[in-house]
Amino acid sequence: MSTITEPTTTQLPPPRSETGLVGWLRANLFSSGFNTVLTVVVGALAGWALWFGLLWLFVDSDFTVIKTLGGLLLIGQYNSEQACGEARNCFWRPQVALLLVTLMLGMSWAVAGGGLTKRIAILVTVVVALFAFLPYSLERMGWDVRLLLVANVPALLLGWALARYTALGTWRWVAILAVVAFLLTLVLLRGLPGVPGLQPVSLLYWGGLMLNLLLAVAGIVVSFPIGIALALGRRSRLPVVKLLCVVFIEVFRGVPLITLLFMSQVLVPLAFPENFPLDSLLRAAIIITLFSAAYTAENIRGGLQALHPGQAEAARALGLPGWQTTLLISLPQAIRNVIPAIVGQFIALFKDTSLVYIIGMLDIVELSRKFATSHVENGMLPYLDDVHEVFIFLAVVFWIFCFGMSYVSGRIERHLGVGER
Amino acid sequence: MTNNGPMDAVEDIIVCRDVHKWYGNFHALRGVTTTVQKGEVVVIIGPSGSGKSTFIRTINRLEQHQRGDIVVDGIELTNDIRNIDAIRRDVGMVFQSFNLFPHLTVQRNITLAPTKVRKMPSHEADAVAMELLERVGIPEQADKYPAQLSGGQQQRVAIARALAMQPNIMLFDEPTSALDPEMIKEVLEVMRELAESQMTILAVSHELGFAREVADRIVMFDEGQIVEDLPPDEFFNNPRHERVKHFLSQIL
Repeated sequence: MSTITEPTTTQLPPPRSETGLVGWLRANLFSSGFNTVLTVVVGALAGWALWFGLLWLFVDSDFTVIKTLGGLLLIGQYNSEQACGEARNCFWRPQVALLLVTLMLGMSWAVAGGGLTKRIAILVTVVVALFAFLPYSLERMGWDVRLLLVANVPALLLGWALARYTALGTWRWVAILAVVAFLLTLVLLRGLPGVPGLQPVSLLYWGGLMLNLLLAVAGIVVSFPIGIALALGRRSRLPVVKLLCVVFIEVFRGVPLITLLFMSQVLVPLAFPENFPLDSLLRAAIIITLFSAAYTAENIRGGLQALHPGQAEAARALGLPGWQTTLLISLPQAIRNVIPAIVGQFIALFKDTSLVYIIGMLDIVELSRKFATSHVENGMLPYLDDVHEVFIFLAVVFWIFCFGMSYVSGRIERHLGVGER
Repeated sequence: MTNNGPMDAVEDIIVCRDVHKWYGNFHALRGVTTTVQKGEVVVIIGPSGSGKSTFIRTINRLEQHQRGDIVVDGIELTNDIRNIDAIRRDVGMVFQSFNLFPHLTVQRNITLAPTKVRKMPSHEADAVAMELLERVGIPEQADKYPAQLSGGQQQRVAIARALAMQPNIMLFDEPTSALDPEMIKEVLEVMRELAESQMTILAVSHELGFAREVADRIVMFDEGQIVEDLPPDEFFNNPRHERVKHFLSQIL
């Protein structure tokens, strides 16, 4: 038997114990004797760690080493005498590359028409421009260096205006120009023989955060399409194509990246003639890219497997040929569904760029570590004890970039309405 | 086979001769022979696993038959991709689970195939889409995404999507089985209107009321074979086979 209730429109408030801070605490932290003990113990441990952490941070720590590193953190030895020549006038080149970035951000802002893109564009530009007003020198920071940093603001606005008022204001153009800007950056950094002001700088001296970012951007941009091709290849009905893709993916996934990097340095010179034109940094970049492509391929394949077979059937039943079914129906949905996994892969790739220390490159991590442990002043090693500060600083730098990627991917997911189906 | 199609000039639009299909060792279609005339409405019923869905899926080659011939609108179904694509352009299909493209708007779901396959200019395709949405009664939903629509509305969009290719034949694979009772009616209404417009229709459906009113023939499948093929009146009142009586007693 049920009790039949009369229809009512009054809603009763939830019981008192379910609401408010006290209710929450009781329900979540002190619901039983065991939970109470757990809460007290964990709370005590956390408080203890926090106390000593803060004590160290505000009393004992000394971040002068970061200040001394200055511009080295950003570009490594790029502007050193060995790399750039006696004039040491190469610092403007990465700076102009940065201007290209803000220009592209400005264009993206105009095309996206505000929202998240606008906020990111403005935030990045303002932070970069503020570097001009640092009280100490980044890298023999004359007025020209400071001016070029401030110039990021007009660059952003110029990009915005370009996209807003010319025919360049579409995502297609932004994508094309971004690739052009990246290639231009590489030429600018590498230099052109015979052009005054653009004396060639050996790849050996590329370093600092610049190196990490270049490797990550190139890796992400190139590995993504390769990953898609591999994923499709692995699902191909042509046995040879399928076999090649499986072998490629399993080889690159089955060997640690660090081993692959070693092999690229040690084995490749054995296999190719001595003056083979592939620089060791390029070889490392290719390895990182292919490694990432193998993982991206499996992520995308996962997304393709998860699709309801009815999707492709419906497309085929409408008369769409196979390649259009893949391009217009399967891939867009598959990629959308695996955005978190792909971004995770890109974050891993960014962090893995610090492994280029294997081939003797000074990325931001290796450079800072080496500086702290071997920088000599007046016959002393003044920063030897400051490796803690160095690594905490590096952790914060990496975290900011990785969290930024995560945040953007979260916003993209929300924008595309993933998970609302 | 019956020959009382509604058209004056009798034209066989689907001809199947001794069609066989195996899934591994399972013999799913065991020699299906039938003919459908232009403008005819054929409703296919049968117990689950009897091969009725498999059969209509062989007609646009979503399933491949391994023996026998299928000729659709004068084109023989072979492994030739061009023939398959030509037939698919000519045959619309509606699925039990709608299979709308969730990442595209309702309008884009409908215009995709006409613009990509028939190379129709997009403004023209948009106009066609709106016309079809009017016809299925939901023009106001054009800019929404499939997930924002009710099941009945989604199935009506799926019908509009198939019609946008201007097919000569429509296949329905249990179009109302995934719908709540109050939504079945709105979909059947659209199908009824389609049947009245002289469209050739092959529908797997257990809506016997619909079959009785709209169908020219009811075909019953059992164990991969056609066991009955009669006009609705005879089918319900005077079935020749025991198996039909048994089946009807189970679902009525």
